[in-house]
Amino acid sequence: MADTKVKDALDHVRASAQELHGAISDAAAKRGGAVKADLEVIPQKAKAITDSIKGSIGAQNEATKKHLTEAATYLGAVQNHAAEALKSTGKGFQTSVQKALADARASVQEISEAVAAKRLTKPSTTRK
Amino acid sequence: MRNYIAVVFNGTDKAYEGLHALWQLDDEAQITVHGTTVVHRNSWGGFQVDTKDTHPALATAVGVGVGALVGALAGPAGIAVGAARGAAIGAASGGAVGVGADLIRGETRDQAKAETSFVLDDGQSAVIADVSEDSTSAIDSRMRNLGGSVYRRSKGDLRDDAWFDDSYLYPYDYYLYPYEYIPSSSPV
Repeated sequence: MADTKVKDALDHVRASAQELHGAISDAAAKRGGAVKADLEVIPQKAKAITDSIKGSIGAQNEATKKHLTEAATYLGAVQNHAAEALKSTGKGFQTSVQKALADARASVQEISEAVAAKRLTKPSTTRK
Repeated sequence: MRNYIAVVFNGTDKAYEGLHALWQLDDEAQITVHGTTVVHRNSWGGFQVDTKDTHPALATAVGVGVGALVGALAGPAGIAVGAARGAAIGAASGGAVGVGADLIRGETRDQAKAETSFVLDDGQSAVIADVSEDSTSAIDSRMRNLGGSVYRRSKGDLRDDAWFDDSYLYPYDYYLYPYEYIPSSSPV
């Protein structure tokens, strides 16, 4: 069935961040630890989401902006931790992966808070 | 309103229907879902949380956190059990350092079993969620149609519970998935 819902930029940012968290948590849960190949795309993905946030933040209300700014900060940390993981081995690698996962979770949390703040300012309507 | 909810169903499949319905409500912009998981209580009372991570230390943290949350959602009776059992798990966790994870896990199972008993009967499953909602009617109505019973408390109330360790709020961030997560293998 075709998706007829109209999604705005913030919905797409949230979906991308959810996907990012899913990718890191899947990698972290692998037996024997995350595989580096799984993490190679993470810094680019995190940067792309950050860029999307920066592109859409101007049109948002203040509460939404605040959460999106926080989300961008966490996504910057995800980039750094994922990059560190790719250069590390053993325990250092696992630690960096766990830090990337925690920051990815925090970024999705901030984005969903931003979505909630935005929805509060709108009348209760469907987006179909 | 920012609320934590537990929606109890008779059986695993119904719980996953409830999980899906919750995210559908989010997709319809009727609520905003910040995180969800599904917990199960098997026929023998064993308690299990859907999680990707099988590391014993994290599984213990998850069990303690979600057990405490479900107990707190049950209201005063569940809170009383949580307060009593919380002290026990704290002592057991401290004493078990260097002994191994089995004792901690055993205590966690006992604690979670006690804490969740006011909400979950044997053989039942529940969707646990952190949501923002303008009114309670959207979730209540949708879940009632699926045969679910909703328990709800505000995040502020949970923070005000004197016994409720704030550190349990941080594991929430790790076991409440920010999207619809259903394990590929049967959880029970």
